[in-house]
Amino acid sequence: MRNLSAVFRYAVSLLREKMFPLPLRERVKVRGSVRRTHPHLNPLPSRERRFLRFASAENFAGNSVSLLCLTIATLALVLAAAEADAGPLDSPGAQKALVCSACHGFAGNSPGDSVPILAAMAPSYFKKAINDYAAGRRPSPEMEPYSKYVLQFGLDEIADFFAVQRKQAPARGKTDPQALSRGATLASQCAACHGAHGDGDAFRAVPALQGQPAAYLKAQMDLFKGDKRKLEDADQEKTKKTMFKGLDAADFTDLAAYFATLK
Amino acid sequence: MNQISRRRFLKVSGMGVAVLGALPATNFAQTRRRVVVIGGGWGGATAAKYIRLTDPTIDVTLLEPNKEFISCPFSNLVLAGIESLKNLTMNYNGLRKHGVKIRHEAAAAIEPDKRRVRVGKDSLEYDRLIVSPGIDFQWELVEGLAQAKDTVLHAWKAGPQTIQLAKQIQSMPDGGVAVMNVAPVAYRCPPGPYERASLIAWYLQSKKPKSKLIVLDANKDIVSKTGLFKAVFKGYPNLEYRPSQKVEKIDVGAKEVTTETGDKVKYDVVNLSAPQRAGAIAVEADLVGGDKRWCEVDHVTYESVKQKNIHVVGDATIGLPVPKGGNMANAMGKICATAVVHLLNGKEPSMIAPGNTCYSWVNDKEAIVVVNSYKIEGRKVVQIEQKLSPGKSVGVAQNSLAWRTSIWNDVLG
Repeated sequence: MRNLSAVFRYAVSLLREKMFPLPLRERVKVRGSVRRTHPHLNPLPSRERRFLRFASAENFAGNSVSLLCLTIATLALVLAAAEADAGPLDSPGAQKALVCSACHGFAGNSPGDSVPILAAMAPSYFKKAINDYAAGRRPSPEMEPYSKYVLQFGLDEIADFFAVQRKQAPARGKTDPQALSRGATLASQCAACHGAHGDGDAFRAVPALQGQPAAYLKAQMDLFKGDKRKLEDADQEKTKKTMFKGLDAADFTDLAAYFATLK
Repeated sequence: MNQISRRRFLKVSGMGVAVLGALPATNFAQTRRRVVVIGGGWGGATAAKYIRLTDPTIDVTLLEPNKEFISCPFSNLVLAGIESLKNLTMNYNGLRKHGVKIRHEAAAAIEPDKRRVRVGKDSLEYDRLIVSPGIDFQWELVEGLAQAKDTVLHAWKAGPQTIQLAKQIQSMPDGGVAVMNVAPVAYRCPPGPYERASLIAWYLQSKKPKSKLIVLDANKDIVSKTGLFKAVFKGYPNLEYRPSQKVEKIDVGAKEVTTETGDKVKYDVVNLSAPQRAGAIAVEADLVGGDKRWCEVDHVTYESVKQKNIHVVGDATIGLPVPKGGNMANAMGKICATAVVHLLNGKEPSMIAPGNTCYSWVNDKEAIVVVNSYKIEGRKVVQIEQKLSPGKSVGVAQNSLAWRTSIWNDVLG
């Protein structure tokens, strides 16, 4: 069944990509649905929202028909997968991401505390991260060579493979409740860009922080503070620098603990 | 917009119908395809798991005499009392959950013509065979070693020897001399001997300050992470590194080894690895090349260049510009598994190159790392980039722990 559901998710992603020019996240907002957890969070800037609403109204009829076709085609794919040789790895993105699982876990669900979870990561941020590593904007002896490994295949298929995986953060050790509460207070500063629930902003390639391993989040904050990781966007870089001035290593630990526990 | 919608409808529903139409073409009555995997280490266990993950209709049998998997990576930490072997020991239940049939028996022989593997009195037929035999030692190349191999330990396969060597080092009197060698290339885990040297030196420095460690390297210089290890060795005045000193003879009675230059070195504790070659079964099945040591393979499918339908992964391979080690064996296992599935389904295998992440601990808290990425060019594996950590750090050590959690799960989970 696990195989089937992976194939199903992959099929949906493929078709979705073909039919809808925008990532799922934006599309969900456009079509008036709400996010399960925090519907009011992380709104798009108003100009983009207007544009999307406009685009959506125009495409409404097309989308309805497309949904029907999507269902037919997906069912057919799932049926084919059920009896043929397709498995969760039988997609181009999965093949090209084969080596990633050594560190990032199967289907991007990293069990290690200092390695980020790639499952369900927004493709926009996945691509930004790989490009940043390859360009040396993010120093990492591990990811600099691997970013070039990924780039040899192009980014789209691998980014899409991870984006459609279900995020299954493993159980990690207990966290100090006081650290969590301090982290929650501090986290209000992050909300402007990362969303009040740490769910990021795929449209602007701002990463989701929720559920990422604490040691990974802490290491990134240390890099930012030490000016070893820079943001490409000058405004973002300036905002980040101002914000990080008032934070120290203990704050980073609390923030990391807080975001790591968010689902 | 309506016109576009109609066109889209035709296009997409057409896709759906096309896929539905393809259904009857698939073979319902296909006979069960069989893959046998010899060796449940990093390469073999990964390959067995990933075949089942990629195509659960394929029957996979894994032959591995040991009931438990013991990780060679991190076993040097056991020698220095930093880690326990128990934490490096795992079972094979994860593979069973994927439907891998495991027989805790050694493969007795491979019969390529009959496409079968002999196991005791039994024999297993295969459509494709994956051999992941690891390494064995050429004892005869060091005079006196074959007779003494039960007491002169290599500890180069994590297990009982690791614990015995740790005990020998721990019970050496303060002021004693430990001697270890580095085998001539190619050998398993290029930075492994230097990590071991660093960790033994660290242990002696903190527990037996009057003792020293002499490292006799058969190679001209440090083989891997050269600059980083040189910096680390400078911090260990109790470590004496001697390059181009291949050990040619051991005299257990006199507690003395002799090197290629005729130097005689006395020891209280000795740790020797004879020159290495592919695991015995690969040699016996004539999978090794002209050097009689290692197995040459196709860089895309890992199929042996000498025997059809037999694939070789892990440390036993040669010819790829990659190190022999666990991460590489894991990558080869995955790539080979998907290639085998493709071949069994009549498809062209994908051109997927491996990658390698390799951590070495240099004391009880800090580690260094080297990472290599590769591509396929003209059906050959070619390196894209190599990157080293700037120096030793606690952060790298932390990453190594995340790596081991993840990769053990990738191999066995």
